[in-house]
Amino acid sequence: MGGKVSCTLGEVKNRADFILYWGGNPAECHPRHFTKYTIMQKGKFLPEGRKGRTMVLVDIRETMSVKAADIFLQVRPGKDFEVITALRALVKGNRVDTALVEETGLKLEQLQDLVDRMKRCKFGVIFFGMGLSMTRGKHMNSAAVLTLAAEMNAFTKFVAMPMRGHGNVAGADMVLRWTTGYPFGVNLCRGFPRFNPGEFSTVDLLVRGDIDAAFVLGADPGATMPQPGIDTLARVPTIVLDPKVTHTSRLARVHITTSVTGISSPGTAYRMDEVPLPLRPVLKSPYPSDEEVVRRIIAAVDKKTAWLPRPETMSSGVA
Amino acid sequence: MLRITGGKVYDPANGINGEVRDICIADGKVVANVEGGRTIDANGMIVFPGGVDIHTHVAGAALNFARALTPENQRVAAKFMRTKDTRMGIGGQTPTTFATGYLYAGMGYTTVVEAAVPILSAKHTHEELRDTPIVDKACCLLMGNNELVMDLLEVGEYEKAKHTVAWLISAAKTYGIKAVNPGGVAAWKFGKDAKQIHSPIDGYNKVNPGTIIANLAKIVDELGLPHPMHLHCNNLGVPGNVSTTLETMKLLEGNRAHMAHLQFHAYGGDDWHNMRSESVQLAEYFNAHPNLTCDAGAVLFGNAVTITADGPWQHLLYQLTGRKWGNLDVENETGCGIVPYTYKGSNLVNAVQWAVGLELLLLINDPWRIFLTTDHPNGACFWRYPEIIHLLMHADIRRERVRALPDAALSRIYLADLDREYTLYEIAIITSAGPARALGMKQKGHLGVGADADIAIYNQNPDGELMFRYPRYVIKGGEVAVEEGEIRSVKDGHEFVCQPSYDEKIEDYLKPVFQQQYTMSFENYPVEAERVHGMQIAECSYHKETRTGAPEGDSPRTTPPSGG
Amino acid sequence: MLKLTLKDQPTVPLEAEMLAPDHVAGLSLDAIKALPVFHGKRQLRVDDFFTVEGEPSDELEIHGDLARVKYIGRAMTRGQVKVFGNVGMHLGAYMKGGSIEVTGNASDWIGGEMTGGLIHVHGNAGGQVGAAYRGSLSGMNNGTILIDGTAGLEVGMRMKRGLIVIKGLVRDFCGLQMKGGTILLMNGAEIRTGAWMIRGTIISLKPIKLLPTFSFACTYTPTFLRLYAKHLATLGLTLPINEQDGAYQRYSGDSSVPGKGEILVWQPRV
Repeated sequence: MGGKVSCTLGEVKNRADFILYWGGNPAECHPRHFTKYTIMQKGKFLPEGRKGRTMVLVDIRETMSVKAADIFLQVRPGKDFEVITALRALVKGNRVDTALVEETGLKLEQLQDLVDRMKRCKFGVIFFGMGLSMTRGKHMNSAAVLTLAAEMNAFTKFVAMPMRGHGNVAGADMVLRWTTGYPFGVNLCRGFPRFNPGEFSTVDLLVRGDIDAAFVLGADPGATMPQPGIDTLARVPTIVLDPKVTHTSRLARVHITTSVTGISSPGTAYRMDEVPLPLRPVLKSPYPSDEEVVRRIIAAVDKKTAWLPRPETMSSGVA
Repeated sequence: MLRITGGKVYDPANGINGEVRDICIADGKVVANVEGGRTIDANGMIVFPGGVDIHTHVAGAALNFARALTPENQRVAAKFMRTKDTRMGIGGQTPTTFATGYLYAGMGYTTVVEAAVPILSAKHTHEELRDTPIVDKACCLLMGNNELVMDLLEVGEYEKAKHTVAWLISAAKTYGIKAVNPGGVAAWKFGKDAKQIHSPIDGYNKVNPGTIIANLAKIVDELGLPHPMHLHCNNLGVPGNVSTTLETMKLLEGNRAHMAHLQFHAYGGDDWHNMRSESVQLAEYFNAHPNLTCDAGAVLFGNAVTITADGPWQHLLYQLTGRKWGNLDVENETGCGIVPYTYKGSNLVNAVQWAVGLELLLLINDPWRIFLTTDHPNGACFWRYPEIIHLLMHADIRRERVRALPDAALSRIYLADLDREYTLYEIAIITSAGPARALGMKQKGHLGVGADADIAIYNQNPDGELMFRYPRYVIKGGEVAVEEGEIRSVKDGHEFVCQPSYDEKIEDYLKPVFQQQYTMSFENYPVEAERVHGMQIAECSYHKETRTGAPEGDSPRTTPPSGG
Repeated sequence: MLKLTLKDQPTVPLEAEMLAPDHVAGLSLDAIKALPVFHGKRQLRVDDFFTVEGEPSDELEIHGDLARVKYIGRAMTRGQVKVFGNVGMHLGAYMKGGSIEVTGNASDWIGGEMTGGLIHVHGNAGGQVGAAYRGSLSGMNNGTILIDGTAGLEVGMRMKRGLIVIKGLVRDFCGLQMKGGTILLMNGAEIRTGAWMIRGTIISLKPIKLLPTFSFACTYTPTFLRLYAKHLATLGLTLPINEQDGAYQRYSGDSSVPGKGEILVWQPRV
């Protein structure tokens, strides 16, 4: 089985002589990424900076990031999993079907050349974006690229990392893990945490209409969810905490305006490599912070008769 | 105010061995006498100082990584339901923070040391410790592969290295330091390891694992840190590694050191097929060198999750098991690897590992220098300690278990020949008094006047496992935290940190180097004091002439120094 | 025979793992009515949602649209459950024995990590049929699942033993990381069938799209298929095995793992 083999961004800066971007467009989506962390930086073991590194970009179309790449591999839409799986076989020296490889838009020689370069490097990294993780195959595409990186360690040093965005998604993930044991898609109905992405993840709950209230914090599902999910948000009582008017706040019953975390209220954000950074406010806001609002809601709920799960809940061992 | 009366008291630090006497508590401390307040009738019970876990992994980025990586473990683990006073959570191999507090307290443990903290994510570790209720906490900073320090040692700047270490400890708000596979994790950043103590580390000309070990041990002693350098030797888990361990111990003569999870470093043979126990050889050396303490890192059969900063070892384990592998290299500092693992009695290697942990606990004759741990969750979960205590107390049960091992294992272990049986007095040493002393926590691990009122009260029972698994009462900071198996008080514990002094000019040196090698601004690197919940600063008052190891309280005294 | 009828649609999913022969067989009607079900976070009684009639028995009939009712037949070891209508997630999860029949459609995770017994769905099924739960080393470890309609993603993920037959079209990742057992696809599958499979057999009676990590081995009709055909006949299914009708093309893979799995694709004689 695979796993997740990763590092903090400083390791990429100091050591990575081979950088592969898959299904992402950092030039436009993570504008400081190249200059601050990866290809443009001079690293401890890469004094020449850009010259000492090879950058490969794999995507379904030419984006702004192509200009930064040494090698661009254009894969047909929806064929990423096929390509990565073929790469895993080639890394091990196993045979693949030439004709089926060509259906991916790439030639076998191109894949073999990529594998050879990967094996020759001293420290390789694969960054993958939503062009991989949110297209057909989804979590299995991510699993494929993570496993490829893990298996490369039989030959040389290799790591992989998702290009995460959208505010402090890594931070939410971290806190959920230490409080519930699971990173996302957690259900607490039975009085203890349960996890099943696809069953308990937000998008699935909303699309199936499996909820009767929604509390939205630091997100705008009204802009990104499929229509049935948006319909559910409009149908049930939805409460939104957000500094701005958003698609979700427009369809919510309650919108509480809060101050912007990191600008007007303090906190901790996790970088995409899960390194925590303190956020220091630079402005004052007339609005309360998200934390303050949530604390006041908890205090108000505490005044009501407590709902406590009954011991029978555990009897059947559903987990 | 609280009085515990009628119980048999085991307080080895004060030489009290099972005497029936009262313990009085006021304002969270043990006092000579109290008037009024609650009285706990402890007739037929035994009274221990609260347990102290010197080496465990319960908080931080690595453990949190393991939680996400192993939903299959969480699914079958014990569940904690939300109650009026307690929060929901999950037990198992990698318990959630709240469950960790309940599980430790529920077993009579009141102080825990998280053994591995990278500076870069120390903020995160402290956040998790804040959410770990009831118990007191401390943590060790990962230092054996810190490139800022290694680069200074390479150019012979010992003093600068010392101030850097002191600055880093102060910045990260930790209690001590730990070196994990010194040099090996740094080499792993390019896919290598450091297997030879005296060969230069990949990327360095002079610095070898031995340099790091000897210098860090000296630095810790000179800084006066209450706890010696915590050391995870090179070549963990590998057949034949006993030679590395012995070589390492020789380097440490003249300084203090705590050898972590010694079980994983006591193997003979030269491959997996002829791996054998070398506990006798190792214990012999260890017994003769009072500058050293260790913890067992015992293994129990069953599911575990291996979590360590030892990246190269975890890659090997991934290749051996074919199971999942998590790895996170932390820039310029350390790494971390995670591989779920199942120890099987039918597996020869695992059988040897199981025996070695117990053998070391039985062969190291001074209980003040070896402590009960499983390197949770590496060898087994901490909540399985009572199973080990039971085995230590009964030679016949050990022999029965040995008989169930594969025949081939019998010629590779010594366990069946060992007759020693731990007394309750000795159990109190290896679970509380000893680790507290090794940590330099004077207020912990004993029940004399002035001690923190952290007390575990057990129903006396010939079945040690049953007795130690279910304390009748657990008192933490003078409050009844657990009563008859139920959590009663969830007051948060303290976190102990050290702030060794350093030359402030070291920042002028560190800042530009840091800006070059890290990806975070220097100002954001230190942990803010307000992030450490219930912080208590411990003194750095160790002086080299102070004796370590077996103290004068080694054998039970007739007249205790403090009454009760 | 015990008969339950759903009175009202639950507004959020209802978890009803007590609706299994092992739990109800020994109880009085009143005790069955009082068994706990979980409506969101609220613990309620079986009779808050169902009318309960008939005799306590290990034969259980459940009527109504149960699309939102989860965990029916969970971990059952014996008896029979018949659902007249649709059914929700985790039907027969961890099941060890007995049988479950559904006249309508079923949702995801039916027969998840089951170790024995029979599940027959007359309609369509969702994803993860007979699969391993997230992170588990293996999925179904024995037993039989028959789906007359279509099925979703990751059918038979990490299955180790047992048989899954699907008459309709199956979506992506059928037999993902399969470790053993057999999946019979009567009407083919979309893409990535057998991805990362280590062992086991996937039989498709229709041409399917293969990953580049599968390679053609030979055309034949393996002997074990004749045995399989006999077994399937008892379930009312026909597997073509006659040489005059055609033969199977054997593809081996997945070479990325590397695996010793096989995909057999029926090639009718023209």
